[in-house]
Amino acid sequence: MNIYQPHLMTIADVIDETPDTRTLRLSFQDPETAEAFRFQAGQFAEYSAFGAGECTFCIASPPTRPDYVECTFKAAGKVTRALRDMNPGDTVGLRGPYGNHFPLETMEGSSLVFVAGGIGLAPVRCVIWNVLDQRDRYKDVTIVYGARSVSDLVYKRELEDWAGRADVKLWQTVDPGGETPEWRGEVGFVPTVVEKAAPSSENAYAILCGPPIMIKLTMPALQKLGFPDSRIYTTLENRMKCGIGKCGRCNIGPVYVCKDGPVFTAEEISKLPPEF
Amino acid sequence: MTARGLTREGLAGLAAELIGAGIRVVAPARAADGGVDYLEVTRFEECALGAEMPRRSLRSAFQPATEPLFAWNRTGGRLFLTPAEANGPQVVLGARPCDAAGAAILDKVMGWDYRDEFWFARREATTVLTVECAEPGPTCFCEAVGLAPDSDAGSDVLLRDAPGGYRAEAITPKGEAFMEAHARWFGEAPSAASEPARTRQAPLPLDAMRGWLAEHFEDDLWRDVALRCLGCGACTSICPTCHCFDIVDEPEGASAGTRRRNWDTCQAGIFTAHTSGHNPRADQTARCRQRVMHKFLVYPQRFGAVLCTGCGRCARACPAGVLLPEILETIAGRCRQAAPSGDLA
Amino acid sequence: MKELRDLARTLLTDGSVQVVIGWEDGPAGARPAFVTKAEDADRLIFDPRCVHNLAAYLSPRRPHVGRLGKAAVVVKGCDARAVAALLRESQIQREDVVIIGVRCGGVLADPSRRVDLTAENVSERCSGCEAREPGLADHLVGEMPPPPPGERSRETRIEELEAMSAAERSAFWQAEFSRCVRCNACRQVCPLCTCDRCVADKTQPQWIEQSAHERGIFAWQLTRALHHAGRCADCGECARVCPAGIPLGLLNRQAARIVERRFGYRATDDPSIPAPIGAFRSDDGQEFIR
Repeated sequence: MNIYQPHLMTIADVIDETPDTRTLRLSFQDPETAEAFRFQAGQFAEYSAFGAGECTFCIASPPTRPDYVECTFKAAGKVTRALRDMNPGDTVGLRGPYGNHFPLETMEGSSLVFVAGGIGLAPVRCVIWNVLDQRDRYKDVTIVYGARSVSDLVYKRELEDWAGRADVKLWQTVDPGGETPEWRGEVGFVPTVVEKAAPSSENAYAILCGPPIMIKLTMPALQKLGFPDSRIYTTLENRMKCGIGKCGRCNIGPVYVCKDGPVFTAEEISKLPPEF
Repeated sequence: MTARGLTREGLAGLAAELIGAGIRVVAPARAADGGVDYLEVTRFEECALGAEMPRRSLRSAFQPATEPLFAWNRTGGRLFLTPAEANGPQVVLGARPCDAAGAAILDKVMGWDYRDEFWFARREATTVLTVECAEPGPTCFCEAVGLAPDSDAGSDVLLRDAPGGYRAEAITPKGEAFMEAHARWFGEAPSAASEPARTRQAPLPLDAMRGWLAEHFEDDLWRDVALRCLGCGACTSICPTCHCFDIVDEPEGASAGTRRRNWDTCQAGIFTAHTSGHNPRADQTARCRQRVMHKFLVYPQRFGAVLCTGCGRCARACPAGVLLPEILETIAGRCRQAAPSGDLA
Repeated sequence: MKELRDLARTLLTDGSVQVVIGWEDGPAGARPAFVTKAEDADRLIFDPRCVHNLAAYLSPRRPHVGRLGKAAVVVKGCDARAVAALLRESQIQREDVVIIGVRCGGVLADPSRRVDLTAENVSERCSGCEAREPGLADHLVGEMPPPPPGERSRETRIEELEAMSAAERSAFWQAEFSRCVRCNACRQVCPLCTCDRCVADKTQPQWIEQSAHERGIFAWQLTRALHHAGRCADCGECARVCPAGIPLGLLNRQAARIVERRFGYRATDDPSIPAPIGAFRSDDGQEFIR
């Protein structure tokens, strides 16, 4: 088995999330691979645009919906731009799933607080749908999601869906100045909205993902609400090439993000040197 | 373990036989500019066995500076992948013990969880005949990291110096089989090999140093070391244990191309730079630290071996006098200071 | 040496600079030194082992050195050409650096051994040196030593290369470049490779393939040589660092010879003389640019 050779996938659907962010829905070309492919929420993959190269993103769709794999990305570099320029029916590659995952099994019976900023909703969305697809296994579900502006919010249709559900408390926010006249959500930064939402930390876990500054400021907000560092989960995104612990790129101190992560607790992260 | 004798004439005959049989023979040889590299040789006379240490390690025999992983092509609206071809048999004639040991150390990361078939296909198709090191160089420090000029780690056959030639010792079953298959070139083992060379360095207190490194991510040492570092990465490109790589796509026309693996270096800023511009290891201080940390803390923690064979090439290759042996000695000194009476080795 | 150390001590004591970048005696020969305290000025040396071009440390690509504060840098005549090029290209400002020139009688190719200079061990760049006393210097120290030994071996090799047919020359470089692994050390040590993002690292578009196959190597090495034509200070650091021993100095020198023939420009440590690339002249010899 050539561990660097990706599975071939067909782009089944292309969803424009924001002017520069897209979601690709992918289906395996080989039925046996499709059948055998299993992953868990939080794992990532290496996606190929043949001719441009590979790029690392989380799997943004939940394992509870095994018929397809989705990834959401911002067109920024060579590979993401190539992926953005592709159309339904085109072939991309996928290696994975790689890395660890959110411990959903140990979170069963607990309340969950999801906090995401910008495109950071992608890995969190995978967990949210996983949880909502098995809703009876968890207690309260609170989602705080923010973006710079209304047009920067990703998964807009799903946000509407979550907003309409009685079993989800959704707080949406945009940075000051990013609102539109029609905007009915919050205006303010994510950490402030987390404090306002004030989800109970009792028998609860927090899962957060977003830009470094949001993570940095949300951690104290969660701690103030009583979440211990061992119950705050996030994902790290160091640059990777191989995804499987060989290429030497994603080390943070003793940790290989690709193998020991990408999911870490705040407690684990506090022990790492600041190289992420 | 089988031990036989191999005269210099026998070695020449063996090499000719291998080459004649179409086996790729890699040996220290003089390149066009007169420097010694591990090169594929087509005649035994090209081998420079007694010469100075090859400029680069043996890494390229197992992981070339660039290698195809697979090719893609689009035909009839579909995309097809063609895996890279497997490698034929290869014999390394005259590896340095430090270079052979390097490959054995790298087996750990290459076999960790996901088995790197490109690496292991070459490892398995290669028989390593190592010649014990007669004359360690001025920057060599193999004994400081637990090896020696006659270490057999990573070797299939160890050729020890003996009158008129070598005493050939089979180290692995593969080496045993090799000596059997080419038995006519091997004679009676010389009664005793001569005394092996020594670098006479005290072993570094590697365990204590690991502890120090774990506690000293922030330390003035890194700034001092990094000041003169030019970030050229020469140290990593000649190292027997550096293994970092990049993966790139190279299109050939609109519908075909090759994905390749290329050597890369942790000393380059772009190695860890995100597309956004954020770089977790933003300057040379962080990158110099990473090289030492990975070799003497991360790898030992994870794989139980330091990522260094003491070949001393990095100290020779550095254009700015950044000397790994000196850095290690500084760290060892601090460990000894911290535990003056304890047994650190 | 005393003169150099006294000067360094004075500059550090009176606060003119926060660091003196010079050479010291390391465990494996001469090497760059960063002296930040006046009492450490005696670490500084200058002898034929001081081959390193310290101008590289002035590059804005090395913020970890810049953080030490204002620097004085010790330069040989050849190194001064690199400082001049950094000034000419506005990479550094004249008032931000104190230049200490040393008179030089040639340096060893290998800084690790303390031996007498001979025609065999002298650095290739010293061949035919005309810059034994830096012109670009705030301070000039040392007596003028005798000129470097050795005949003009490099010029002879270049003339041999020039006399070859194109096919022969191509075969020569093919053999030399075959050892290149694209480690980029030649670029990293170059005092004049100041680009934030080198063309070889750019991927949108991918101008130069990154692999160490013939295509990638030629694309890189020829681009490198062309980007340095008319800029190269001829310090030879790229060739010295090359772990494959590729004679990059020959390529640079040949490009410099062509530039001199075509544009009458020769690498100089006078930063006020514009380089042919990077300067506009209304009487330019090339019609298309006027």
